Amino acid sequence: MNKVKIFTAGIDLGSTMTKVLILDGEGKSRAQVTGATGAEHRRLANKVMAQALGQAGLSLEEIGYIIATGYGRVNVPFADCQVTELTCHARGVSHLFPSARTAIDIGGQDAKGLKIRDGKLVDFVMNDRCAAGTGRFLEVTAETLGLRLEELGELSLKATSKVEIGSTCTIFAQAEMVALLSQGRPLAEILAGLHQAIASRVVKMTRGLKIEADVVFTGGVAQNAAVVQAIKERLGHDVLVPDEPLFTGALGAALLAREMALKCLANGDNIPKKERRLEEASLYEDY
Amino acid sequence: MAQDRGMDRAKAIYQNRSQRAGELKAQGKQVIGYLCAYPVLEMMTALDLVPFRILGDIKEPISRADACLPTVVCPFIRSALDLALKDRYQFLDGVVMAHSCDVAEKTAHIWHSYLRPPYFHFIDTPHTTRNSAVKQHKRLLKDFQKTLEQLAGRQLSQERLKEAVKAHNQQRALVRELYGLRKPDPPLISGAETLEVMVSLMSLPVDEGSRLLKQVITEVRQHNSGPPKKPARLLIWGSIMDNSSLIEMIEGLSANLVMDDTCVGSRFYWPDVAATEDPLDGLAHRYLVELKCPRTFRQADPNKASKDYQADLEYRFGYLMEYAKEWRVNGVILQSLRYCDIHGYEVPQVKDYLNSLGLPAIYLEYDYSQAALAPLRTRVQAFLEIIGQGNF
Repeated sequence: MNKVKIFTAGIDLGSTMTKVLILDGEGKSRAQVTGATGAEHRRLANKVMAQALGQAGLSLEEIGYIIATGYGRVNVPFADCQVTELTCHARGVSHLFPSARTAIDIGGQDAKGLKIRDGKLVDFVMNDRCAAGTGRFLEVTAETLGLRLEELGELSLKATSKVEIGSTCTIFAQAEMVALLSQGRPLAEILAGLHQAIASRVVKMTRGLKIEADVVFTGGVAQNAAVVQAIKERLGHDVLVPDEPLFTGALGAALLAREMALKCLANGDNIPKKERRLEEASLYEDY
Repeated sequence: MAQDRGMDRAKAIYQNRSQRAGELKAQGKQVIGYLCAYPVLEMMTALDLVPFRILGDIKEPISRADACLPTVVCPFIRSALDLALKDRYQFLDGVVMAHSCDVAEKTAHIWHSYLRPPYFHFIDTPHTTRNSAVKQHKRLLKDFQKTLEQLAGRQLSQERLKEAVKAHNQQRALVRELYGLRKPDPPLISGAETLEVMVSLMSLPVDEGSRLLKQVITEVRQHNSGPPKKPARLLIWGSIMDNSSLIEMIEGLSANLVMDDTCVGSRFYWPDVAATEDPLDGLAHRYLVELKCPRTFRQADPNKASKDYQADLEYRFGYLMEYAKEWRVNGVILQSLRYCDIHGYEVPQVKDYLNSLGLPAIYLEYDYSQAALAPLRTRVQAFLEIIGQGNF
């Protein structure tokens, strides 16, 4: 048992959503907050962190160590260290599911496959610069069909058959959707086709790593039940989904921060905190 | 403050490759452009022609080449052709290309028909390493010799060719010596600077290049201005890298790039040409069998009916393990230019081979543009975290 109580935080500044998770002295989640990333990374990072601190009833200085991850990890003025989202996701996944060997993560504009051994990342694949088949694709879909993002999955699962969507290229698929709508195909069938296309793309990509069970599916898109279902069908077996798939990266970052801090304390070293700046947010308030 | 005259000169040539070629032309020399590693340099040198490596320019957006080449082919060759179409290679007195890959072969036709260089030769380099292929390669080099002789207006003697072999072997030995300075930890010279020196060598006559190289080696030994010690010592394998931007990105992280297997690097310079009675025998063997580019189908024993997969892997990639040991490498970056089929096909096997020996490797595909480096940075960082994950 570790006697020292130390709070740590992970902030995952994704392309679409910013997630903060604070762990208490026992390593249990004390606060978790999300916000839309938008164009002003720093402002948002500060705002979401301030909210999380409020929720936890802590000040920034009471957090022993903070790790930033995700697409915008360099834009976090109060982080002590940056770690890539690949390492953080793998850490989060293996904490939630110690049996995990493969993880699939689909976020706002990227998709990753992770290979995990003994709780650690050993290999990975990522989609290219193109955001085809990611959360952005679902956003455009929702907009084109006049639906809310949250409705897509449930509606899709009602389909009795599905259309073939030839592409996960957002632009091509949007054109295909419009054509299918004009042919009078039911919304649910079109959605089922789109969700299949997403699953097909990410599973194909991850197969390069030689997929082994258990497979865990995380990221914002894992909140969509139809994509989860389609991935299960593609793989031919079950996939595990955390209760809050959006927070996996932030959780991993906070866990790594905790391990790092405890290791320093155990060695009798000072925790290498950086000079933290949270007040930066005020600079942008006028905009 | 120590002056790095040799290194400064190498950098200047790297940044303005054609300047020295222009001066040489003013002195009456003929400059021959060559694409990839297969045209035999010694034959050009022996006839007092200056071989000049045709490269691309990552900073120049491709705007003209797409009119005559498909966009889904090697972006390096597209860039090189694009530069030629923009008259950046107009100073060349001739061009020699080889069947280094399919795109190089097709581009040879296009280059010839769109640009009509005064001299043009295509070497249809064989694709296996068996003896019959080497014999054929020698015949093809004789054909090359004949057209070069027409251009130079004189016969190529065996003695001159043997001298040229010696001169190029001497340069190769110097390159290996320079690479040896990357064995210490930290290395005495960065990967980015090494590449700049390699590009400058490919822009100079052989003797001039060797003099420059000697100067650089002396400076690197004396000045102790290499990169700092970092946790990762990486080897990079793969497609051509003719500019230092990818290497600079990697070396900007917690890694030193200490060895390469790419063709503006060790792959191009490593094997010597054996001193054979007929120099064409040594040349035909070196450029087909010793030059280890995945464009050639390589087998441990091509004449045996049954194949030993592990022996083939050792034959094909064993040298990478030797590099890894000698340069104390703890991770390998496998990089392929987008649409570089020959490297793309090789990746699963080379990765399996390295992993089976306990050497972590990561595959990066990159599209010959500086804009594409940001997403690659995350991949390299994650790879460095994997290598050093004892920290977490």
